[in-house]
Amino acid sequence: MKRVLVANRGEIAVRVIRACHEEGLEAVAVYSEPDRLALHVRHADAAVLLGPAPSTESYLDIRKLIAAAKDTGCQAVHPGYGFLSERAAFAEACKDAGLIFVGPPATAIRAMGDKTEARRRMQAAGVPVVPGTTTLLRDPVEARKEAKRLGYPVLLKAAAGGGGKGMRQVANDADVEGAFQAARREAQKAFGDGSIYVEKYLERPRHIEIQILADHRGRVVALGERECSIQRRHQKLIEESPSVAVSPALRRRLSEAATAAAGAVGYVSAGTIEFLLTPTGEFYFLEMNTRIQVEHPVTELVYGVDLVREQLRIAGGQPMRVHGASGPGGQLHPRGHAIECRITAEDPFNDFLPATGVLQYLRVPSGPGIRWDAGIEAGNDVTLFYDPLLAKLIAWGETRENAIQRMRRALSELVIVGLPTSQPFHLRVMDDVEFLKGEIDIKYLERAGRRVLAAPPRPGLERALAVAAAMVADEQRGRTVGPSDGRTAPGLSPWIVESRRLGLRDDLE
Amino acid sequence: MRYHVTLRSRTYIIDVAGGSVTVDGETLEAHAAAIPGTPLLHLLLGKDSWTVACQQLDARRWALGAVGERVEIEVQDDRSKQIEALTGQGRKVAAGGVVKAPMPGLVVRVEVTQGEVVEVGKGLVVVEAMKMENELRATHQGVVEQIHVKAGDRVEKGAALVTLSAQPSQPSG
Repeated sequence: MKRVLVANRGEIAVRVIRACHEEGLEAVAVYSEPDRLALHVRHADAAVLLGPAPSTESYLDIRKLIAAAKDTGCQAVHPGYGFLSERAAFAEACKDAGLIFVGPPATAIRAMGDKTEARRRMQAAGVPVVPGTTTLLRDPVEARKEAKRLGYPVLLKAAAGGGGKGMRQVANDADVEGAFQAARREAQKAFGDGSIYVEKYLERPRHIEIQILADHRGRVVALGERECSIQRRHQKLIEESPSVAVSPALRRRLSEAATAAAGAVGYVSAGTIEFLLTPTGEFYFLEMNTRIQVEHPVTELVYGVDLVREQLRIAGGQPMRVHGASGPGGQLHPRGHAIECRITAEDPFNDFLPATGVLQYLRVPSGPGIRWDAGIEAGNDVTLFYDPLLAKLIAWGETRENAIQRMRRALSELVIVGLPTSQPFHLRVMDDVEFLKGEIDIKYLERAGRRVLAAPPRPGLERALAVAAAMVADEQRGRTVGPSDGRTAPGLSPWIVESRRLGLRDDLE
Repeated sequence: MRYHVTLRSRTYIIDVAGGSVTVDGETLEAHAAAIPGTPLLHLLLGKDSWTVACQQLDARRWALGAVGERVEIEVQDDRSKQIEALTGQGRKVAAGGVVKAPMPGLVVRVEVTQGEVVEVGKGLVVVEAMKMENELRATHQGVVEQIHVKAGDRVEKGAALVTLSAQPSQPSG
């Protein structure tokens, strides 16, 4: 293995390219027309244009991706997350073309990708699953019958699903029909498969997931849990490791279930087993993500493992380099605490609606314990074609409290000019009383979202911004900024000139 | 010059003069300096240090940010405010009853028909953006006067989707 095609875009493509370079491998990027100047293209050793913006004509086109890999002399393909990462057909197409797929075998993807099949397999392997059907629902009539048997509320879920797409919560008989059709339509669009099944809806569980790593030598290790309960519409916003709700004894039981789950499908590479953990300590298998995950860095920071480099090594047939645990179910121990905030192009003060625009300026936080994994830089245009994730800000500390303090500090340093982002939301969560106590579950945001967003910013901030606005407006009226700033000519300060320059550049692109 | 500065529904009256500002009657030393090559401004307000990120949105609106916050601010100078008061002109309030697209996207479906009576919370139009379906609901009771879009339409932010009558429906006699 010398050259790897990175079949993705955004921050994960950059992440994979970095891992390739550290492993001494060359990385080939692929891109769509609007991504010509994207960060991943600039990081790569070579880049191949796939086609126009729509994913179906670019990042989801298996034929084009395989051709790009062959044309550029790649031996392997890393799929990242999203897009084709959990399509068994893509893993097979790579294999058929003589390319190494950096991920699990197609059979494992298929078994876990079909959520009803996965539930059957997990039951057989002795892993507890959420009560529900292990077969697909034919129509709303059957959905209603099964929902009644389980008792409302229930969740209708896409069998091919993930990320909350094609999922609907249903409270009563009357809503089944509409929810079923909506879930089916969304699933069809997102995954090309409208199959739906039903699960009992659990009250206020935590979302706890276990990272596993498995190599071709038959070794499977669990790298502890991630707490991902802070979600909005089933999209994770903040993740941490370890979880305040997981004791060493519970971690051992979760890890055993996770390694059993991976073993049941012959898993190889990095994967994640998601569980729901109830307030009384029972846990249920939710699904397995057969790929690297967005939130993998929090695990990397507390376990001292580079998961993407391990994926590459394992794909090349080498043993994993994870030390300190032996044999299936072997346990490693977390060191310190890590938190990740997803910085997305969404406006928290406008119901998290997607925002677009040119990123005019970016100042990235740094200093002790801070990691920034981004897919964007100043000058990039944020469009509606792809996922709104711009970057991930990750903080490590000796304790959870230290990690939160660092995250708060880093969020205050981060400057993004050009479009609203989730940044102020994260800052407020870091000050929220329930979050600070670790009292979170998947309903946290429904409960606390309004309170968090209504929290006042730091004293004096609004007044300072009001003054700044008045001074900027005053300057535009043809005066100088400041009393004795020799460099600032009346009328046009460097600031105005620069902002116009930035504005003009957008028009030229 | 005096400015009326509105952010998050609070209006500050600010006088800018030489090296000082007066905010709601309190006078403070103020010095602002542009940071070359960036859209950043450094503000010393009294002895307090603030690095402010600036983005102009239109003639009188800015998005300003500092210490991780971002606020949209409207600024009006006293003179134009007085002229507007005299001539009765001002920013026109958006016509009531027009439901607009809050973001660019694709119309997945229209859930109402013309003439339909809708209650608060009734789904009107489903717009897909970033692969998620967002249902826009009625914020007041009314009658669907006009439907401006159909399934499959691409809409820009602010595009009119549905017009609801301002008057709630009259009970039939």
